[in-house]
Amino acid sequence: MSYEKLFETNISGESAKAWKTSGKKAVGYVCCHVPTEILLAADVMPVRLRATNCVDSSNAEAWMSSFSCSYARSILQYLMNGTYDLDGLVQSDGCMMATRILDNWEHIAKKDGKKQFIHQVGAPRITNEATIGYYKTELQELADKLGEFSGTKVTDDGLKAAVIKTNEARDLIAQLYELRKEAKVSGTEALRIMLASCDMAIDEYNSALKEFLADAGSREPIEARARLMVIGSALDNPEYIKVIEEKGGLVVTDSLCFGSKAFGENLVVDDEDVIGSIAKYYLTRNTCPRALDNRPAIHKEIVDACKEFNIKGVIYEKMQNCECWGGEAFYLEPALKAIGIPMLQVEREEQMANVGQLAVRAEAFIEMIEL
Amino acid sequence: MANATKQNFDPTLPVNMIDLTCQQVDSIYQYMLTKGMPEIMWTVDIQKFYWEEIRDAHKNGKKLIAFGGPVPVAVLRAFDCVPFFLDTIPTRIASMEDLCGRFIDETEKYAPTSMCAIDKAQLGCAIKGEFGVEFDAFVHATLACDSARIAYPIMERLFDCPCYTFDLPFRHDTKGIQYVADQIDPFTKWMEELTGLKWDAERQAKIREINEESNKAYSLLIELGNLRKKTPCVLPGRMLVLNEIIAPLAGVSAVTEMLQTQLEMGNMLIDMGMTATRCPEERYRVCLMQNMLWSNTGIMDWMEKTYGAVTVMDGFGYQDGIIFDDLDNWERVKFQMAQGFLFVPMIHGATGPTDYWLKVIDKMYEEFNVNVSIFMGHVGCKHTWASGKIVTDYIQEKYGIPTLYVDVDAIDPRYKSNDELRAQIGEYMESVVGAERF
Ligand code: SF4
Ligand code: SF4
Repeated sequence: MSYEKLFETNISGESAKAWKTSGKKAVGYVCCHVPTEILLAADVMPVRLRATNCVDSSNAEAWMSSFSCSYARSILQYLMNGTYDLDGLVQSDGCMMATRILDNWEHIAKKDGKKQFIHQVGAPRITNEATIGYYKTELQELADKLGEFSGTKVTDDGLKAAVIKTNEARDLIAQLYELRKEAKVSGTEALRIMLASCDMAIDEYNSALKEFLADAGSREPIEARARLMVIGSALDNPEYIKVIEEKGGLVVTDSLCFGSKAFGENLVVDDEDVIGSIAKYYLTRNTCPRALDNRPAIHKEIVDACKEFNIKGVIYEKMQNCECWGGEAFYLEPALKAIGIPMLQVEREEQMANVGQLAVRAEAFIEMIEL
Repeated sequence: MANATKQNFDPTLPVNMIDLTCQQVDSIYQYMLTKGMPEIMWTVDIQKFYWEEIRDAHKNGKKLIAFGGPVPVAVLRAFDCVPFFLDTIPTRIASMEDLCGRFIDETEKYAPTSMCAIDKAQLGCAIKGEFGVEFDAFVHATLACDSARIAYPIMERLFDCPCYTFDLPFRHDTKGIQYVADQIDPFTKWMEELTGLKWDAERQAKIREINEESNKAYSLLIELGNLRKKTPCVLPGRMLVLNEIIAPLAGVSAVTEMLQTQLEMGNMLIDMGMTATRCPEERYRVCLMQNMLWSNTGIMDWMEKTYGAVTVMDGFGYQDGIIFDDLDNWERVKFQMAQGFLFVPMIHGATGPTDYWLKVIDKMYEEFNVNVSIFMGHVGCKHTWASGKIVTDYIQEKYGIPTLYVDVDAIDPRYKSNDELRAQIGEYMESVVGAERF
């Protein structure tokens, strides 16, 4: 098997189609607070929805307005125009833009007479014992409903088997980051590889990634003018990173929900409370500033990553109308300054209309760092 | 712009917002006294009470607690603290271009312009350190609203005082309500530590008293709502804005008295065959979604005067209110308090599934006999906009009323001029509704 598929950024739906031909279900989800382990344990293929290469989201804009985040509305567009042909949508209230994808899709699908499994998972925005307990009940409800829908009851054994697979993916991604640290994989390639996890079946993904890693280990390090980290709103377009890298930067790590944040440390299962372990894992990892009590921790992780990956500059990309990721500069910029790392802030839209401007700003930033 | 007012302050010097507001309210009060306007003094009395209570909290030996979003204000008062609803700063300064600009521009140095101006204005005030009072604590909730997620964590650090966060779930069913209710007892423990007072029989008797008073206020608000259902509507649209002060003051006799006076005035007008609206004749009954246009409440007067279009209710700001049905049953009281948190449709509570708004829409359009529908969408409130088509399609299909979409900034008067707004509404009224000017 080749690993070419890891670099295909268009949404082909091929794996989901193959999965469905065997009579099984494939369900989309948005945001990192929907544990894929639960879908896998229900024998449902999880497809993380993304909007890569969406060039026009005007139909979805009619539903979500021009004041919405273009990433979120492009996902709705892909649901509406059939780019995604799935059996349903599971959504957590990561941010309100992502949440409204569900409201609108539920409404539109009903109107169009499309049968869909629609489920909303509530993910608390502060982390303590009580909120983890609540989230656990939400996950249990998802497990029960999905089990009914797919005909495969979600059991502890099923969940544990799924965790083995997702942990394997996490381990492989950790190895990918080691190669990034050694400059053997570019940021563009890395994002492509991680995006591939969204719509490939996990077994297929893990084997392809293993093969790639075996080959990539023997590469020569990439020459670059500056080692960079990219942080910010959902970024599902490798072309964005490519523009930066073409100007001589090398993006060696990130704090992105389609990047490192989607994988993280291994999920450790407590046999006595399997679903509780999943709840705790997903709620305590600092995926994004959607929560109210995780900012200092997220900032510390970014600062630590800068040190670990020998970063010379941070690019903070903010999707227009993304309030979730909009306000981090106030405390993060001084924290980075304290360790001598400059930060470039750039606004962006899902549709890459301002490539030229990004290229100019990235180049100027890289030049400044080099001096 | 035409409708915005300038304030007398030196922009080069620090501002003390609480003192400035108290002075402004007092000068309106004095002006009305000298002009002999006893029939409307109550509209200022309540504002005077609210702002001076905040200003004098420490002088009166009370702790001052800033809050954001739906939190158990009654518990704060039971612990003898003064609650300060931070949203009342932006809503207060909404028509004042220079003050608004001062704080909003400050926030925009660090945060996106797309952020809701309610949060931008209060965060800007916090960054500049210009509230003019020190907070003993900050209590807030994890709102649906993404803008608050920028503002609250930063304000927590700036205020540098004890903070407590309620987690509000997306779901609005019994499970979600119970989840919130279960957070109230731990909060009373936290309040014990903060104040050094015990959650004992005395305090519980106090909260019972507050909730009893709150019941009176919300019963009056419901009666006022019923009054607005009558044709013609005797109360002007702008009165809806004033009533939102119930959020920080429910349970305080001053607000009950204000609502009582308003109700008496409404009933008296009915008896006299008169109305307090500005129109010679009511021709249209408007439901205004989604937020209140604090930056230009005069637009409602203009609609009344020009087309006889009276804003009978503000859709997403609709306040049904919670009436506690068993004041001696603490479990039940907590549940109903939590229900109150989740079902405040706007004022930071615009959370939850769009379906809930459809229920609110049914109430509005069926009971208030609405025939003009305006989605006056606050640009900062993106999640409300993202439900806009579901809601307005529903109105069209079920009630046969086309909705006008108009984008406004509920707080920042610089966003759209009065003339522009009038032109947009006027065109709709004349070409879609078929209204004629008086
Ligand atoms: S990019 Fe921002 S606004 Fe858009 S879905 Fe992600 S967190 Fe929400
Ligand atoms: S108006 Fe909307 S965006 Fe603004 S604070 Fe309220 S809920 Fe949040």
